[in-house]
Amino acid sequence: MPRILFFALGLIGLVALPHALSFSQQEILVFLVINVLLVASYRLLTLTGEWSLGHVVIMGVGAYASALFSKNLGIYVPFAMLLGGMTSALLAVLLSFPLFRMKGFYFLIGSFAAGEIIRLLWKRFRDPFGGAKGIKGIEPMPDFSIGVYEFDFFEPISYYYMSGAVVVFCLWILWRIERSPVGLTFHAVHWQDKLAEASGVNLRAYRTLAFSIASGFAGLSGALLAHYVGTINPNSFDVEVMVFVLTWAIVGGTATFYGPILGCVVLTILNEIVLRELGFEQMRPLIYGAIMILSILFMPKGLESIVQRLTRRTPVAAPREKVAE
Amino acid sequence: MISRFTRRTFLKSTAVTAVSAGLPRFAAAQGNTIRIGFLAPLTGPVAAWGKPGLDGCMIWAERINAAGGIKLADGSYQVEFVSYDNEYDPAKARTGATKLIREDGASFIMMLGGDTWPGVQPVADRTGMLFSTLLPSDLSPDTTTLIAPAEVHPIYNVTGVEWLAENRPELQTAVICAQDDALGLPSIATYLAAFEAAGIEMQDDPLLFDPATTDFAPVVTRLISKSPDIVCLDTCYSDYVHPICEQLFQQGYKGQIISCTADFYDQIIAKTSREFMEGFVFQFPDFDDPALNADHINFVDPNGFYAEYNKRHPGQWGAVSWEYASIMDLWKAAAEKAGSADPDAVAAAMKEGGKGEHAFGTADWWGTELFGIDNALVGDWPVVAIEDGKATIKEFRSIPAWYAKHGDLLIKHMTAYDQMWNQRG
Repeated sequence: MPRILFFALGLIGLVALPHALSFSQQEILVFLVINVLLVASYRLLTLTGEWSLGHVVIMGVGAYASALFSKNLGIYVPFAMLLGGMTSALLAVLLSFPLFRMKGFYFLIGSFAAGEIIRLLWKRFRDPFGGAKGIKGIEPMPDFSIGVYEFDFFEPISYYYMSGAVVVFCLWILWRIERSPVGLTFHAVHWQDKLAEASGVNLRAYRTLAFSIASGFAGLSGALLAHYVGTINPNSFDVEVMVFVLTWAIVGGTATFYGPILGCVVLTILNEIVLRELGFEQMRPLIYGAIMILSILFMPKGLESIVQRLTRRTPVAAPREKVAE
Repeated sequence: MISRFTRRTFLKSTAVTAVSAGLPRFAAAQGNTIRIGFLAPLTGPVAAWGKPGLDGCMIWAERINAAGGIKLADGSYQVEFVSYDNEYDPAKARTGATKLIREDGASFIMMLGGDTWPGVQPVADRTGMLFSTLLPSDLSPDTTTLIAPAEVHPIYNVTGVEWLAENRPELQTAVICAQDDALGLPSIATYLAAFEAAGIEMQDDPLLFDPATTDFAPVVTRLISKSPDIVCLDTCYSDYVHPICEQLFQQGYKGQIISCTADFYDQIIAKTSREFMEGFVFQFPDFDDPALNADHINFVDPNGFYAEYNKRHPGQWGAVSWEYASIMDLWKAAAEKAGSADPDAVAAAMKEGGKGEHAFGTADWWGTELFGIDNALVGDWPVVAIEDGKATIKEFRSIPAWYAKHGDLLIKHMTAYDQMWNQRG
């Protein structure tokens, strides 16, 4: 019962949240929600022990695919978004053949190289990818009305509600996957790979599965971004953006489901709202970097460790005393 | 609960704000202050084309405010700049435009443009806000509220090549390199047209490098492998121009260099040598140049502006330090003519008669053939060369005159690089 109450209050809070924010903060909220899905999907990949430097490019694959499906083939935007996610997942399956011949650091570098090849292809082939300028005038999500509320997707509130619902649903799926036997196997692939292999687990198949699921959700987040901003270009998905995703995951911590999400939320608010409002707009990279270094030095287990400390139940001493009596 | 934000609701809501504030005019003119939005990269690799412009605007605002401000029909207004760092990211540019219009009440927004404009365009369409860009390749028939009043990048680059061909006819071959992005490609097309018009042979296809490139040794080695007379650096960012020049120096290149910009050229000289940089041709003057005191120059007190800028930001003068300020000169004149800061009224006053007072002289509103809309202000542009370690204006040349003779070449090369307005996006 308290858990249902907690979720109900959380839901009410999420619905009310944009109304307490300024217009620009509502815009930031939309991008934050999209990035939450991106970083949560990234964590699924890290469950198998592999860290990729190509996740943002995979997000871009979903964005480009969805934009092209809707713009060139006239596919209805929500379906184009789903197809965008599926394209990312499919590409991940293809990439898994060369990439999962590597492990650890080599996989990291291999994923970076694969990502750069994809980015260069976007630049090289102006038709259909638009070259360096990318794709402009991407179809927006079509407006609709549900009687009491008219969804005008130019407005950040409307897009927040739509993307928020999609992201919450995706997070629930990701959470269920992690809690399922498949998710437990992902953990085993990471921590007990020899034992898992000896037990008949196909390590490569499970790594591929995690990679493709994570990529599918990353692609969906890219599609959500593309149809809101209306433009994408290869620089929107470069390694600099990937560094932000890594930062969110590292500062938040990857031991729990909520760790990277916490990192994403806290660092985005800090970078996009707090530092700008305090008048440190041009010093943000410096301050952001300093905070990152400090958090790694003094909080090596990430922000999630603070939450764990706060929510840890203290051992009840009374029964032992009773026994002693 | 029904929410639909349109141009009409924007105007209504701002009008309501104005009435509630007890003001007779546009909401953006709050109190006795008019706010101008500055939406450009202030951090990151493209910051060199944003931050110096904001610094220049601050000096411009102080000078205008000290002289009594902007005089509209209902009185004088002080001017205030509100900035938003878009990090050259379209999503952040959209957020910034929303903030500047809907929260800060800006009357006019200046941008660098490029990759960031498509993110802002839906906001501009909905609100009818007047925006400016330094990159007219953002212009299209759909961008009715976007103007390019300071520089017609990269078209003015033709003047440098034309001057070089006339003054150093012994230079017969050239090579060109650029970063593969929205700034590099139209500039490549322009330089190719200019070289062809000047009868200078290209030794190789343009060398496009990835914007993430940090090691320019192989780029330069390939570039000068056929001993070209001219190395053209296109519209490379200063983060590329500096290392490329260093590499050219280290690899023993002794020929002519031409570039769109040479921001912080004193640092390039420090890394190479005064002799190596002698004769380097580019397009952006220092404003202490005596040639800028000529009668046809419309920028107010360029020498004083340059001195003040260097006093406050020593060694930071760059290509855009004066450009946003010069846009403000044009905007101020139009607002005073219209008697209002309303975006529509200012835009109409600005384009009245088809001519405008550009920083380097009277110019024409132009661009239908290349951009699909006459929203670019085009006239004369200076050709600058480094002489004895100092940027010196060699001549002002007419861009429309070059275009009248060689416009077909420009269209040919722009088309080849998919840079015509009807090919973009």
